[in-house]
Amino acid sequence: MNNRDFIRQAPRTESSSNRSGSIWRFVHTDPPLLVGLILICCFGLLVLYSASDGNETVVRRQALGIVVGILAMFIVSQFNVHVFRSWALSMYGAGLALLALVLIIGVEAGGARSWIDLPGIPSFQPSEIMKIVVPLMIAWYLGSRPLPPRFKHLFWSALMILIPAVLIIIQNDTGTAIMVMMSGLFVVLLAGIRWRIVITGFLALLLASPAWYLFLAPEHIKIRILTVFNPYLDPTGAGYNIIQSQIAIGSGGVYGKGYGNGAQSHLDFIPESNTDFILAVLAEEFGLLGILFLICLYLFILLRSSYIAYSAKDMFSRLLAGSITLTFFMYVFVNMAMVSGLLPVIGLPLPLISRGGTAIVTFFVCFGLLMSIQTHGRLKEA
Amino acid sequence: MVGKWQLKDHEAEKKLFNHRLVVAGVFIVVLFAALILQLVNLQIYQHEYFTARSDGNRMHSQYVPPARGLIFDRSGNLLAENQPIFTLTVVPEQVESFDETLEILNRLIRLTDDDIEQFNSRLQRNRVPFSSVPLRYILDEEEKSKVAVNGHLLPGISIEPQLVRRYPLAGLTAHSVGYVSEINREELDSLSDAEKENYGGTNHRGKTGIERTYEDLLHGTVGYEIVEKNNRGQVMRRLDRTDPVAGKNITLHMDAQLQIAAENALGDFRGAVVAIDPNTGGILAMVSKPTFNPNLFVTGISSKDYDILVKDEVNTPLFDRTTNPYPPGSTIKPFLGLAGLHHEHIDYDFAIEDPGYFRLPGVSYRWGDYTLRTQIGGGHGHTDLMKAIYQSCDTFFYDLGNRMGIDTIHDFMAKFGFGNNFAVDIAYARTGVLPSREWKMASRGEPWYPGDTINSSIGQGYMWATPLQLATAVSIIANEGKVVSPRMLKAVDGELFEPIIENPMPDVMVNDSDYWRYIEDAMTMVVHRPFSDQFRDYGTAYESIAMADREMSYKMAGKSGSAQVVGISQDILSSSDIMVSDLNKDHGLFISFAPAQNSQIAPQIAIAVFVENGEHGSSVAGPIAKQVIDTYLLDILKLDFFTVEDTPHSEKQVRASDE
Repeated sequence: MNNRDFIRQAPRTESSSNRSGSIWRFVHTDPPLLVGLILICCFGLLVLYSASDGNETVVRRQALGIVVGILAMFIVSQFNVHVFRSWALSMYGAGLALLALVLIIGVEAGGARSWIDLPGIPSFQPSEIMKIVVPLMIAWYLGSRPLPPRFKHLFWSALMILIPAVLIIIQNDTGTAIMVMMSGLFVVLLAGIRWRIVITGFLALLLASPAWYLFLAPEHIKIRILTVFNPYLDPTGAGYNIIQSQIAIGSGGVYGKGYGNGAQSHLDFIPESNTDFILAVLAEEFGLLGILFLICLYLFILLRSSYIAYSAKDMFSRLLAGSITLTFFMYVFVNMAMVSGLLPVIGLPLPLISRGGTAIVTFFVCFGLLMSIQTHGRLKEA
Repeated sequence: MVGKWQLKDHEAEKKLFNHRLVVAGVFIVVLFAALILQLVNLQIYQHEYFTARSDGNRMHSQYVPPARGLIFDRSGNLLAENQPIFTLTVVPEQVESFDETLEILNRLIRLTDDDIEQFNSRLQRNRVPFSSVPLRYILDEEEKSKVAVNGHLLPGISIEPQLVRRYPLAGLTAHSVGYVSEINREELDSLSDAEKENYGGTNHRGKTGIERTYEDLLHGTVGYEIVEKNNRGQVMRRLDRTDPVAGKNITLHMDAQLQIAAENALGDFRGAVVAIDPNTGGILAMVSKPTFNPNLFVTGISSKDYDILVKDEVNTPLFDRTTNPYPPGSTIKPFLGLAGLHHEHIDYDFAIEDPGYFRLPGVSYRWGDYTLRTQIGGGHGHTDLMKAIYQSCDTFFYDLGNRMGIDTIHDFMAKFGFGNNFAVDIAYARTGVLPSREWKMASRGEPWYPGDTINSSIGQGYMWATPLQLATAVSIIANEGKVVSPRMLKAVDGELFEPIIENPMPDVMVNDSDYWRYIEDAMTMVVHRPFSDQFRDYGTAYESIAMADREMSYKMAGKSGSAQVVGISQDILSSSDIMVSDLNKDHGLFISFAPAQNSQIAPQIAIAVFVENGEHGSSVAGPIAKQVIDTYLLDILKLDFFTVEDTPHSEKQVRASDE
């Protein structure tokens, strides 16, 4: 822990935590972020209780996931983020090794062969770890180089993003691969990659997408995309989820049907009502006001995270915090857009609300990094 | 490393980063705005639409079938009841794989090929989407629990409680009460929209007999309920309900005890018994044998069972012998004699000298009396109408028929319901044939020949009548001309049924009402005139009825008949199951009413017995009639004829004729 030597108090950065925040600073916790996260988690538990038809086991397990997540967040935030920075390369290498190991001894669950199940330790997904390690790695790589990044740095960054992504795609877990790529890409975007490269890349994607759609996209993906434009093309198959979800949201109206009164969810019309489509349950029972409240909570988290990124003391921290913020937003937006029928159905959870302990712990670890960035001093820069 | 660090311009980089952060913020705001717009669209602008869709998802209106009315006999015994059963049903839309489901079900309970075949035919019918289709009726407790336990493996399969028809007397009422069976496609298509609605929850419909005739009374009115169903089609709760109106309970004139007695009396014979209460026209018994188990039809008869019923060409169990016509033979003689008296072709003193045959003037063909076929041969000698009836003298009626002519015969016989069906509620009964010149020209394209009249005079030739018609006609004699239309239905929900009869048959009027007494006496002698020194001067049924039961406490009036078997198909003749000679035998008939010649008690029962290939009306059909009448008068009505003062008047009559 020789990093502590480099910690330097920065009285300018935060007036509030300066006065009353010394205790928070000591425990390396950011109170606004913590309050926001706990509020969302409580709201999530409330919705999950209704979505699971009052199944207390489900709710208790979710609560346990949250507690473990918060503990993990605390542990992570105790370390200066630069500890992670200095370990970035090693962690990246270890991550790649684990991904390669998955290819050999991986266990399949839920269609993706992405689990490592070794005796003595809980089974886990190396791809989940890469969601944190990839932005860490790119932030380290670009943060220590002059910005905006030069072409060769971009090239290496792209390679560092694509290698794990390809390994994850081979595991048949496209959703995670996309999120891993996005988290790396956000670092590159924040690092100041030139707009013309961004626009060129975007146009290239735009031009390539019809070709991809026509020649490469698997049939079930095509149908999912088509159902965004008209769910009634396949009302009992691919369009079913989105139709039922829209009925739930729409029938919720402004004020909702009331807690526990969602007919769509309680009569099992909403598929995946505990996980990916939990927003439909929330929208049906709490209405537009309920969703707006949730969006406000998320916005609060995003604002606070952006502020942490903005006020971070070095480029590595900024890039990492920015990437975590944007990735978090990405989850929120993609899930909400998918449930309300703006985007094709991709299996992504609604952060901190959807049932699933692993995802929650991952999110809290990310917020642990943010808190570490916020509460540890600036690294002495050359 | 140090070189690289020196190249960094920290302030510029921070500016660049902050700039990017702002751009990201703008993106976030724009995307959230888009999301909120979509939510506003869904939750405000399309709120009503989606509310309706949500209700449509969960709320289902379903039919509640009414309970079918029960059918009772006159003393309150159930003839048709509703039995609660558990039925295995399928909602085809919810079944993922039929083959898999059937395989699992087959392991749990026995499903025959017939079950599956019938299920497939039910699937072909019109049905409301997501409504359930019966796969197998009547699950026992064990099967029920096996299916219930494995419910999670069987999406779309459920067990529904249901009421189905059951006929406690089974075959005994198969033809008269009839049966219900599943509605078929043609029946559904023939229903009006309102009727279709009323049958929305009903699987069954009366197919034959009373069940069909009074379908409208028995069915009731459908009810509705709105239920909330979950995604798997399970009913979670009931939101609203309009109760169905159960069908009306109906009571028949039929007496189960008499029905049983009639069936027993027929024994192993094929044949029919129809008994009518002459006072009301109520049908007391209506038995056709051989019969079948109507309960088989209720839950869908298997093609194997059905084949057995249909392919039995000798016994034809599905064929209702009570309402299908046969040559009535000599049973029409009392009516013909009455016609002769009424039209004054004969009187009480008129007599012929019977040589045993009849010859039309100028024609060499001789119409023989049945006595010619006996060992002794010869005729009846001096024969008046009374003797012609109790001895069943053909020659007398050949002569009388010939002199009356077919037109007179037709018009007079028609008054008794021959060639007509004026039963109130047995519309399916055949009318038989009461031949006339017009009828022959229309159906055969031939003129009427005098020889046709001769044949018709003894109930042969073109003359055909159903046992129901014969029973009706004899009840008119018992009533001395008063016509009461035969009927099955006695009461509806306990209230006496008063049918509105359009164009009621007028009562039969004769010139002298003493003719009725005369015919009654003649018919009584058929049963009661004993053997005497006189050659051929006893009642044809005396030996088998009155002599067989010397203790007989009442008198019955009767007339026997035998009818030649007209056509037997070659199929049957080549069948090895039955003696061909049996099928060549004449049909035996007997009509009767009782008590006769009783000044205290009016006739209580009129009956027609038909025995297929029974050979003799008097010795085979007669005792059957006697047995049925015994049961009715002595066991059911419990009439005590010993305390009722015997009528010396009628005794005298018999004796007077003896001399």
